[in-house]
Amino acid sequence: MAKILLVEDDDLVRDMLAQVLTRASHEVHSATNGDEASEYLQTTEPDIMVTDIIMPKKSGITLISEVRDKHPNMEIIAISGGGRLDPTGYLDLSESLGATVSFEKPIDNAALLMAIDLLAHGKQEEPT
Amino acid sequence: MSPDQFNEKRHWLTTWSPYLAAFAVAAAAVILWYGFVDGITPAYVITSAKEGLPWIILILGISVAVLLGLSLRLTQLTRERKKSLELISEQFKKEISTRVHSEETKQKLEKALLQGQKLQAIGTLAGGIAHDFNNILYAIIGYAGIVREDVQKDSMAYQNLGKVLDAAKRGQELISRILTFSRRQHHEFEPICLEETIEGVLGLMTPTIPASVTINFTADTQAKKIVIEGNQTQLHQVLVNIINNSVDAMDGEGTINIKLSHVPDHDPLLAQFPEIQPGLYCRIDITDTGHGMDQATMARIFEPFYTTKEVGKGTGLGLATAHSIIKEHRGETVVESQLGHGTTFTLLLPEHSEKEENSHGKDSVS
Repeated sequence: MAKILLVEDDDLVRDMLAQVLTRASHEVHSATNGDEASEYLQTTEPDIMVTDIIMPKKSGITLISEVRDKHPNMEIIAISGGGRLDPTGYLDLSESLGATVSFEKPIDNAALLMAIDLLAHGKQEEPT
Repeated sequence: MSPDQFNEKRHWLTTWSPYLAAFAVAAAAVILWYGFVDGITPAYVITSAKEGLPWIILILGISVAVLLGLSLRLTQLTRERKKSLELISEQFKKEISTRVHSEETKQKLEKALLQGQKLQAIGTLAGGIAHDFNNILYAIIGYAGIVREDVQKDSMAYQNLGKVLDAAKRGQELISRILTFSRRQHHEFEPICLEETIEGVLGLMTPTIPASVTINFTADTQAKKIVIEGNQTQLHQVLVNIINNSVDAMDGEGTINIKLSHVPDHDPLLAQFPEIQPGLYCRIDITDTGHGMDQATMARIFEPFYTTKEVGKGTGLGLATAHSIIKEHRGETVVESQLGHGTTFTLLLPEHSEKEENSHGKDSVS
């Protein structure tokens, strides 16, 4: 089980992903944009942050660049449908800023869960 | 001689010629007259006439010579003027032709620009809709997956949810095609032998094409060596889309002729595209024996989502994508068609040169 911060502005996608992650026995906290996520991260450090890239107020790119140094042990998964532009551009950028892995929407949820398991497993094996 | 100088001389000649002639005649008359007044007798007249005859002949001769000279000069001036006028007329014709050509070029550019903007606008709109629709589809797929986990695998609900997922995935594929059209993706370009590319596509497509459709591919000896700078996958997509369109246009029966050739320098086909970059070009002509198109259909054939096929049989993206890819390859697509007489798609592509290889780089598209 991993402690996951889910950042997604689309209600339908956020609620669906939250259900998928919860059903896979992960502890999920949801945020609707980068600002909410930053606020949450001031008091809590999840194992993994799953964040959308294009969001109102604070984008996923800004969020990743802000939290990467403050939370070096937190794994970051970037997800994006790319808005009106090529998503691979944003996803490449998010990885260069510190995201561990990225997915293009629509995501294969089984692949997302597998990635989370691998990252969570890796964290458990890390020497403390 | 300038037109003004010419007019001045002509005016002088036409004004004074009659006076000179009259003077010559008057001089002869005066000589004769004096003869009659002074020596009234016919003998005297004859004598005087005999004495004055050489003078009369001389004066008349001089007058005739002067008049002849003036006339010849006038003819010469007229010829010069005619030549000068012909030259001016030729210059005018050239000027008019240049202006007409420039106006035609301007109109073509405006039309191309308008068409380009229209396609770009549709692409942007489609891209926006596709992204939002992708999120919706993702939610449908996700929730259907969650519910499916909760129902018995042998139940009707489980099977029906499977169909929901299948339908959503079909929608996802369609969106993916729309995004491919609207996004300006980065593609690696490399030198490609067109003959091999076409043969490769035909090899792949043959099993999927009805046996009643014959495809002939020809490339003369020179054309076999044609190499372009392009993306193999994208060119495959172009050829597959156009050939599929031809097969559909023939209702599954007929002949498709594919010809690869060089485009000669100064070919009128290239002149249709004033904005095309200079250099060597090759052409792929894909001709079918299908039902052809009318002018109205031809004008919209490359618009995204424009299709004449039955609902569910075509997305209207195949030819739009092909056109867009050829543009990315700095080429042009020409379509010629007549109702009942088939259609020819001509793809014009710039040929690869070693010079280009050095300067162009590997990555091509912005």
